[in-house]
Amino acid sequence: MKVLVANRSEIACRIIRSLQENGFPSVAVYSRVDKEAPHVWTADEAVCIGEPHAYLDPQALLQAAKQTGAQAIHPGYGFLSQNAEFAKACEDAGIIFVGPSPKAMSILGDKRASRQAAEKCGIPVVPGEQACDSVDEAQKAAQKVGYPILLKAAGGGGGKGMRLVQNPAQLKEAFASAEREAHNAFHDGRLLVEKYIYPARHVEVQILGDGKNVIALGERECSLQRRYQKVIEESPSAGIDENIRQALCESAVKLGKSVGYKNAGTVEFLVGDTGNFYFLEVNTRLQVEHPVTEIRYGIDLVAWQLAVARGEKVKDPQEKPRGHAIEARLVAEDPNNQFMPSVGEVLELQFPHRPYVRVDTGIVQGSYVSPYYDSLLAKLIAYGEDREQARKRLIEALRETIVLGVKTNGAFLLNILQSDSFKKAQTFTTTLEGYDWPQTKIPEFVSQAAAQLGDVYTEGKMISPWQVLGAYRL
Amino acid sequence: MITKLVCDNGKFYRLVLARGPRGVWAAWPGGAAYLEKVQHFSVSENIDEGVRAPMTGRIVKVAVQKGDRVEENALLVVMEAMKMEYRLTSPFRAQIEEVCCRPGELVDLGVTVVSLKKLT
Repeated sequence: MKVLVANRSEIACRIIRSLQENGFPSVAVYSRVDKEAPHVWTADEAVCIGEPHAYLDPQALLQAAKQTGAQAIHPGYGFLSQNAEFAKACEDAGIIFVGPSPKAMSILGDKRASRQAAEKCGIPVVPGEQACDSVDEAQKAAQKVGYPILLKAAGGGGGKGMRLVQNPAQLKEAFASAEREAHNAFHDGRLLVEKYIYPARHVEVQILGDGKNVIALGERECSLQRRYQKVIEESPSAGIDENIRQALCESAVKLGKSVGYKNAGTVEFLVGDTGNFYFLEVNTRLQVEHPVTEIRYGIDLVAWQLAVARGEKVKDPQEKPRGHAIEARLVAEDPNNQFMPSVGEVLELQFPHRPYVRVDTGIVQGSYVSPYYDSLLAKLIAYGEDREQARKRLIEALRETIVLGVKTNGAFLLNILQSDSFKKAQTFTTTLEGYDWPQTKIPEFVSQAAAQLGDVYTEGKMISPWQVLGAYRL
Repeated sequence: MITKLVCDNGKFYRLVLARGPRGVWAAWPGGAAYLEKVQHFSVSENIDEGVRAPMTGRIVKVAVQKGDRVEENALLVVMEAMKMEYRLTSPFRAQIEEVCCRPGELVDLGVTVVSLKKLT
């Protein structure tokens, strides 16, 4: 089975690797700006699909599949991975879409429909209103559930098109901005309103279905988020007990079975401080943080996605999950400057090579980090026999990681991992809002070495304006 | 790329350095920074105040026109990069001298997008 990977960056590379390991020919697609990206030359074949937004263009992707004779399309995450129309278009073109059936996706992948499905299964949901197609409707819904509220995109996840609204005065502007962002990210500007629950943990269950049977592969806790983007994820959650874990897993499996779910998927919950939990949404696709589950269960979720897409049955994993895994997302954002996106050429890139640490990345030295796509550079995932061991290993791995040419959140990740609240597993969805951390201080020996480097260059063929200047600043 | 071994209080550190367009990138264990050369004279202090792009990205929306008078914190421009929106607002009560960007345009970090005249 030849598989076209309709994605880019780290997840495209990761999927292509699985395809190669399992003997499936792979096809990459790339936009004009991604011409030299690693996923292009990692795959067996690669097709240019045009402009930067072409990863969202169903026709371009289907054309690339036809042109290369690909029999299946793996959508990765983001882009068209939760677009039921695209899944249907693949089906109509006789191409296997590595995901749930268009019908199951249109129920579970849509925030409104999935809420209804969860309610039908008797799973508690966050109070809110599904249909808010105008500011007026959102206003009414917000009044009903009470501020603060969350505006969310109905058509996708990842924090795109999501806004926390504290009071009625903020709603109009937030609505317009969320709608625009949702439209840009998913080609779908529909929004919904939910009551904002806090303090709460974000706990999600990994499921895997074959269209009939659905199994749960434990949970991941992803409470540490910024701008509704996950920053650090781990499995298991240190904040829930065995009873809640079981209740969450059973709910997730029940929901999956109710629609005949086929594919890997994630059922997200908010868990309150008394163990009360609410269904949030379903991601009908592979998730960014899937490696923490893979490491604990010793499985390859992409291989399983391909297997069930070809009609194989799921079976319970042979072994019980072991130990603890923590993932940190290294992104091109400047933590010393309001997490501003950082664009540029990667001048130097060094990742750790140590046992029990996995690095998933889609860049190499010389890659251009462009403003067109999200800021994820790499995921570092550490395994430990217990949480503390995994935490220490991840810290050491991050300390060894070097990225020059774009700013990264590396120092911020280290600070979180070393914080008391993380050590004690006191992690909530609000923990990183206004998280106070000391800005990066440049050690004296570093600024001295940098100044010397300036001199070295001025002695060479570069004529530098710095030669008369001594002072550097951040 | 240049690596340098430095000794600080008996402990050796391996530094990795690379030259950027206006400064030096440096990484040490657990940290990294871009050390920019400090300019002797500041352009922005003499001429009228400009609002600069805080990142390389695309202009999504321009909310003001030349000649407009705006209050402090008024929305001037919405930018987007890496799927994140960033709102540029007026640092003070001001009159818009010049709008130097168009919706859809890609602008570089540090480029003036709107120039302002401070109103008292």
